[in-house]
Amino acid sequence: MASQNPDNYQLSATEPNVTTEEALKSQLMTLNMGPQHPATHGVLRVEILTDSEVVAKAIPHLGYLHRCMEKHCENLDYRGIIPFVDRLDYLAAMNMELGYALTVEKMAGTEVPRRAQLIRVLVSELQRIASHLMAFGTYAIDLGAFSPFLYAFDEREKILRLFEEISGARLLYNYIWLGGVWNDISEQQLERISEFCDHFEGEVDKYNNLVTHNKIFKDRTCNVGTLTAEDCFAYGATGPVLRGSGVDWDLRKVDPYCGYEEFDFDVPLGAGEEGTIGDCWNRYYVRMKEMKESVKIIRQVLDKIEDGPIMGKVSKVLKLPKGEVYVRTECPRGELGIHLVSEENGKKPYRMKVKSPCFTHTSMLPFMAPGQMIADFVATIGSIDIVLGEVDR
Amino acid sequence: MLNDLVELLNKNIKDVDAEVLTPENGDHSILIKGKNSFHSAIKFIKENDSISFNALQVISGVDYLDHIEVNYMFANFDKNKPHTAIVKVRLEGRVDPSIDSIVDLYPAADFQERECYDMFGVVFNNHPDPRRILCPYDWEGFPLRKDYMSPKTYAGMDVFPDDKMNMNQREYIVHEKAEVARKKAEEKAASESKTE
Repeated sequence: MASQNPDNYQLSATEPNVTTEEALKSQLMTLNMGPQHPATHGVLRVEILTDSEVVAKAIPHLGYLHRCMEKHCENLDYRGIIPFVDRLDYLAAMNMELGYALTVEKMAGTEVPRRAQLIRVLVSELQRIASHLMAFGTYAIDLGAFSPFLYAFDEREKILRLFEEISGARLLYNYIWLGGVWNDISEQQLERISEFCDHFEGEVDKYNNLVTHNKIFKDRTCNVGTLTAEDCFAYGATGPVLRGSGVDWDLRKVDPYCGYEEFDFDVPLGAGEEGTIGDCWNRYYVRMKEMKESVKIIRQVLDKIEDGPIMGKVSKVLKLPKGEVYVRTECPRGELGIHLVSEENGKKPYRMKVKSPCFTHTSMLPFMAPGQMIADFVATIGSIDIVLGEVDR
Repeated sequence: MLNDLVELLNKNIKDVDAEVLTPENGDHSILIKGKNSFHSAIKFIKENDSISFNALQVISGVDYLDHIEVNYMFANFDKNKPHTAIVKVRLEGRVDPSIDSIVDLYPAADFQERECYDMFGVVFNNHPDPRRILCPYDWEGFPLRKDYMSPKTYAGMDVFPDDKMNMNQREYIVHEKAEVARKKAEEKAASESKTE
């Protein structure tokens, strides 16, 4: 701090003419983004080296939300893990539960009744819509538009209320259990889901008019953070990031689970209607189109759903045989893979590794950042839609 | 399919000594025994013409106490050939078990290897940025090892303060086998000191 005595001020140094170009410092400036930063969607810290407004290097620092989830799982029995996998991707908890349940069921050889299968598809597609709505709303906020967030939350609230009726919780459900689902869905609730579908398709068109084809939005997102298909392969990107780069890859089509093969739906790809294939706008637009496809699937489930049991036969104390499996499912943010190693007659997993799509996508940030403006970097982080609960586990 | 790949590997890569593991339950996998030719084997897996994998999905370590196993999950994001493979290596020793890094082949391995080092202490040779990733950079020990004991203090702070709840659950439950191995080692050390 300069002293308060005015005699000590060196006024000559502040005169513009005195400063020569050599005397000016030219070096990269370090800018800390996060851990508390609204545009990082959680507690991600990115250390950015900037050359004026241009990012020269970005270094993500993870672990602020590390809860030792994998270590905890080694000390819990197989049923007790379900609330923990909820807390991985807290915006898509149903999909996380589904992935975990499928893994254990594959190992145990459990058969799931048809009604439970259909309910699982129903809730996981509803959850996909809710998650994409969150991605849409927060992405608009990142880019300076506030009202789309409110529209998105309005619709998301309807889905969350439905889930609350079904499962008793709004975010972390503990609803999909090993062998089936916890609670049945009533006829009235199915009717309400049907009404929601009718109403929601028009809403997506509204969002598209409001945001997707907005001139300012397009200027901010087109040709920003472009990823080619080869980049995506190299970094192992999945989900909307991979499809935004024009790669036709959706596990629900390629390696169907839970009876997805009987539903008729399209896999939206980044087609480059605006900008180039693989840029932020295309990734974002894949999500908007996916919401409509999810509505399509939900309608088919509502047609097909039939009465029956909702729980398969699972012994009270679940013991798995010795072995290991790696099961992948398609979550809203990409492929969730669970690597489960079990001991002979073990009540607890010997090891459970979660392959989180967001962790993979975060590893792409140092690759995507160099050469971008700082504001574009914010747009890039928003477009890969990470949830830090899943990154740090 | 794995059998074909192993045949190709054994034919083309010197000293790779690969074999297919077919357990009764669960997924089949490839075990690579020749650790010195591991990097060239993965290069072959990536670049050969017949069965190639364009993406590395995850690296998952498993601690079996007598060895640490590193699992590489490969996938091919091609609709016509959607094959996957689990490739394993087994590393002996508890102090700095090491294997070649494959970051130069799959950039996805960067964060995954850092996580594997963080959790299991597996050292990846030639990794460009071998730091911890989820734990603090000055953390001691490797949490997902079966014989891991959490430190009592970190940065001058009490890790398990007395006024916290769940007093009886405070200490991490060490795996039974690890406990047995630790006791055996202690007894052995005690008997050795007696004889001396």
